[in-house]
Amino acid sequence: MSNHDYIVVYFDDEVPMKQALVRLTEKKERIIDVRTPFPVHGVDRILGMKKTRIPIGGFILGLLGAVLIFVFMSWCFVVSYPLIIGGKPYFAAPSFIPNTFEITVLFAGVSMAFAFLIRSKLKPDIRFRPLDEKITDNMFVILVDVNGGNTTAEKIREILSDIKPVEIRESEVKNNG
Amino acid sequence: MDEHFIFTKGYRNTLALIVAASLLAALIVILAGNPSASRIWANILLNNQFFLGISLGAAFFIAVHRISMAGWHTVIQRLPEAMTGFIPVAFILMLIIYFGMGSIYEWANPGIHDPVIEGKRAWLNIPFFFIRMVLYFAGWIILVRIMQKNSEKLMTSTDLKYDRNRKLLAGLFLVFYGITVSASSWDWIMSIDAEWFSTIFGWYVFISMFVSALSFIILLAWLLKSRGYLTLLREDHVHDLAILLFSFSIFWAYLWFSQYLLIWYGHLPEETAYFIPRLHRYKVIFGLNVGVNFLVPFFGLVRSQSKKNLDWVAIIAFITLIGHWVDYWLMIMPGAAGESSRIGILEVSTTLLYSGIFVFIVFRYLSQGSLIVKKDPFLEESLDYES
Amino acid sequence: MYQSPIRKPLIEGKKTYRDISDQILAPMINRPKKSWYLGILISGSAMIFGLAMMAWTVWQGIGTWGENRTVGWAFEITTFVWWIGIGHAGTFISAILLLFRQRWRNSINRSAEAMTIFAVICAALFPFIHLGRPLLTFFIFPYPTTRGIWVNFNSPLVWDVFAISTYFTISLIFWYVGLMPDIATLRDKLSRGFKKTVYNFLSFSWKGSARDWHRHEVTSIMLAAIATPLVLSVHSIVSTDFADSILPGWHSTIFPPYFVAGAIFSGFAMVLTLLIIARKTMGLEDFITVEHIESMNKILIATGSIVALAYIAETFMSFYSGVEYEHANLMNRMTGPYRWAYWIMIGCNVVSAQLLWIKKLRTNLMFTFFLSIVINIGMWFERFVIIVVTLHRDFLTSSWTMYKPTIVEYGLIIGTLGIFFTAFLLFIRTFPVISIFEVKSILKVETAAQSNKNIRHE
Repeated sequence: MSNHDYIVVYFDDEVPMKQALVRLTEKKERIIDVRTPFPVHGVDRILGMKKTRIPIGGFILGLLGAVLIFVFMSWCFVVSYPLIIGGKPYFAAPSFIPNTFEITVLFAGVSMAFAFLIRSKLKPDIRFRPLDEKITDNMFVILVDVNGGNTTAEKIREILSDIKPVEIRESEVKNNG
Repeated sequence: MDEHFIFTKGYRNTLALIVAASLLAALIVILAGNPSASRIWANILLNNQFFLGISLGAAFFIAVHRISMAGWHTVIQRLPEAMTGFIPVAFILMLIIYFGMGSIYEWANPGIHDPVIEGKRAWLNIPFFFIRMVLYFAGWIILVRIMQKNSEKLMTSTDLKYDRNRKLLAGLFLVFYGITVSASSWDWIMSIDAEWFSTIFGWYVFISMFVSALSFIILLAWLLKSRGYLTLLREDHVHDLAILLFSFSIFWAYLWFSQYLLIWYGHLPEETAYFIPRLHRYKVIFGLNVGVNFLVPFFGLVRSQSKKNLDWVAIIAFITLIGHWVDYWLMIMPGAAGESSRIGILEVSTTLLYSGIFVFIVFRYLSQGSLIVKKDPFLEESLDYES
Repeated sequence: MYQSPIRKPLIEGKKTYRDISDQILAPMINRPKKSWYLGILISGSAMIFGLAMMAWTVWQGIGTWGENRTVGWAFEITTFVWWIGIGHAGTFISAILLLFRQRWRNSINRSAEAMTIFAVICAALFPFIHLGRPLLTFFIFPYPTTRGIWVNFNSPLVWDVFAISTYFTISLIFWYVGLMPDIATLRDKLSRGFKKTVYNFLSFSWKGSARDWHRHEVTSIMLAAIATPLVLSVHSIVSTDFADSILPGWHSTIFPPYFVAGAIFSGFAMVLTLLIIARKTMGLEDFITVEHIESMNKILIATGSIVALAYIAETFMSFYSGVEYEHANLMNRMTGPYRWAYWIMIGCNVVSAQLLWIKKLRTNLMFTFFLSIVINIGMWFERFVIIVVTLHRDFLTSSWTMYKPTIVEYGLIIGTLGIFFTAFLLFIRTFPVISIFEVKSILKVETAAQSNKNIRHE
């Protein structure tokens, strides 16, 4: 994503921002992104975002981890180097359960965290510059696509004339910020 | 907003039919099949414990939500309140066990010569056993009744002192219940295998009670909703009920495994003697117990969508409820009835008999007063609840 | 979402979103107070003393400790279990209270989770130094050895390795995922400079996009969902270090849930100790209100009561079991040479916690502070009683002995306390102590709740 022109609409509260979002989607404006200082409920619904599949990935990898570690421990204690410890049988299934459980949780948790970072393209980058430093503070921002020149700041101002955003400007966005 | 449950003639007739038919079946089996006295009495104890557990679990549900100032359950709180109505009936039924003491509890037999049991005489003797029973039930009945009275006042009064009172009573009930649920399970269930002991037993029985109660609440909600009641019950409430069933079934499995692992690992004969008959003679039932009570709620309710569908959650609740009946069967039967334990017509009919009585009592309570606690300070919050 | 008017507000004072960012980020941007310097001087000294004692142990050997053949486990494993227990409150607050939708967790979960990480670090030091030959620590991990043998997967000590490694990893991940948006807020507040570059790096290019927030929320809930059984399992596995034996006083099926309840109990006490001081010195009373303190006290009384119930079960079974050694063990605990430890335990854990039924005491910060320290002392003694008092009177009366701890062992306890508090003091200067975005998300509801004063109970 290199230089794109967006219309950036600023709000200082989430209520008018949501109203504006509904209005803009009704008017079929293409919303590139919504940026907020905290997760605002209802935004995913309005934007029609699909639910993430991270939990499914976590579940599958958790099960994979469980099977792997259980089979591994069984192999160690039955095939590789069988030992009788404390009178327990070689295949000491109840003993293997605690370890299996822990590895399940480990695999599930680590995979979900990494899936989250990778899917959201979040990585440490000292050259990162955010779009506006007030977004993480108290500004709620909607990024509207210029749509090849069809959408302008004036047009947006007209559509949102009664909602009164704090600011509307045209912006060039570089470096994913 | 108001809803009244009407205990129609149709319901009464159906329940009367179930009670009569199962009573008849049980009597036929007893007269024709000649089962051992132990098996008959063990069935009575089993069902006493199972249904008492559902009632106490319901009381616990109410108390714990009140004391933590939870609001979401307000829409359905009348359901567990109605379920607690069985506790006085359970008291009478447990007193009847007096006549079958010797058949179930080996320590109650006068001719016994077991040094281990002799050592426990101070606790395991019939007079003290029944004094404790009276004390347990007295506390439960009184505390639940006063909690109920305060809740009823909130049908019409907005005076917050009733909410404060029932919060205080919830605390008292929880303390009393905490001690007595363990003590009663030691008395009524653990002492069947008189030479055995397990410190976690009380907590294990408690969690079985709670999960059974949750399952029954869900089934009751499903039944009422399908008959057009509980219009204010939404997906969000169902979701939370399902979360509770899901998580506490996992917690049940954790407690089951704690007990099993430690006894398996220690390999001490005085402890493993409990599991030997259960594992070897009743392999299938033993496996079903763990499998059904853990795997079914886990895989059935792990997805978010499944938790919102009342029909699906009700199916899982039904299976889990039966699963916990099996759980109680495993706790009581092998020790009480020994060789003659099985799951046969006698067991099924006795359980159906008790179910009929239980549902009758619940429906009667529900029909007295509105289904909505109109002036409950948390009602608005529950109506608006987003899961 | 509607909230019943009888609930007390969780944020005090009329605030804007900017106020929240500014007030919480102030300790990171401003110079530290004198109290902070004093704190780090004390804890730093304790830490250095402790590290010296650890080095001495590794250099000279385990003989510098007071363990003998009868009492093979004593101070170190007691303190190890104590620290792991303390760590559990963080995960309970972050994970379990999130799943139960308790909004009051929003201002305390960040510091509680950080406390967990530091507590687990302190705990993990003990297995390392008590091995005798710490350089061979890697032996406990299952790798293909040249001797062909594998780790003893049957042993609770190996289960500990798996459990604590997983617990530390997941806690760290959970803490950091939650921290990322707040680091971004801090990054954007700072003007150019080294600090800004560092925080920019640590913020993982967080930009506040709605899609990222959605994934972030889902990931947080899922991590909470798996961290919940982790809380149960880790301390249960630690309890099996004792319960899997066949010693009277140790072999008791109630140990797993009993230890977990005790862990949450002592953990919450530690959170209270830390936050009662932190909220005052960092000016965060509007976010960590008396309502929060009271809610934490309610958890204290709940878990304290569960611990008391476990004591009742254990005491009853000592008589009921008919095993004369169980009976003797209990009598020894109550009336033997270590009875002072037993009664301190009962006094601190059972009696003192039950005082919290009184509302006046629950909402009194001074009382809560002292009680939280008393509870932690009591919980340390609980593990001491379980471990040392069970071991010191062996099956053979000729093996009966008393345990004499050395200065090195006291130094280790002081040292871990030093490490813990130093780490926490450094934490409050480098990362936001309160979860900024979570507090902002409840601002509207809580500000509305402030105007309901006349409707509430009190």
